[in-house]
Amino acid sequence: MSTAITNTIRKWRFERNEMTQQDLAERVGVTRQTINAIELGKYSPSLEVAFRIAVALGVRLEDVFSYGAEPREAPR
Amino acid sequence: MSFREKSAWITLITLVLLLAFYVTHLPPPWWLRAEAGGFLFYVLMLGVIAFVVIELIAHVIVALRAPREARAPRDEREQLIALKARSIAGRVYAILSLGSVFMVIHLGANDGGILYCLFLSFVVSQIVNYAARVIYYRRGV
Repeated sequence: MSTAITNTIRKWRFERNEMTQQDLAERVGVTRQTINAIELGKYSPSLEVAFRIAVALGVRLEDVFSYGAEPREAPR
Repeated sequence: MSFREKSAWITLITLVLLLAFYVTHLPPPWWLRAEAGGFLFYVLMLGVIAFVVIELIAHVIVALRAPREARAPRDEREQLIALKARSIAGRVYAILSLGSVFMVIHLGANDGGILYCLFLSFVVSQIVNYAARVIYYRRGV
């Protein structure tokens, strides 16, 4: 089961000194498995968790998540 | 695999064992004329006690291996999985309990038989509950 919401969390984690899923999960306040499920498109997070992920990655919400379209590229 | 997913697996396996124990010790022809006490009560209680002991030991072992995860509250995904699984299990219990009660009354079961059918319906609905959780954890929710 996959969601229509796509994300670039993995790319942004790489941009942030290869932040681990566990690090991101602790900053957001969810389990590592939930971050993994979101990355794989198996779970659409609530708006609050989506915002917390964006804040933890230091980017805007629309830079990380998009609906039915390719998310924006991470900056070089 | 997260602590909650392991917990769901443990409960699912234990419930299947419990159901197998009941069906083996109280097979279908017997419970139609079961007395609400004596052997029926003994088998039901033995199953419940064994279930609690196995659950307790297995969960303690898993929790000791990941104490932080075990202490952490459920996050939103885990709460959603539990809610969806419980919703399915509730419907299964309603259908099974009503259906089985009507069936055993039609077949001429006594109070013990009806009690046993209701209990088995609950066990089966909980198997559905934890099987649904495992599927949601594996496939996504």
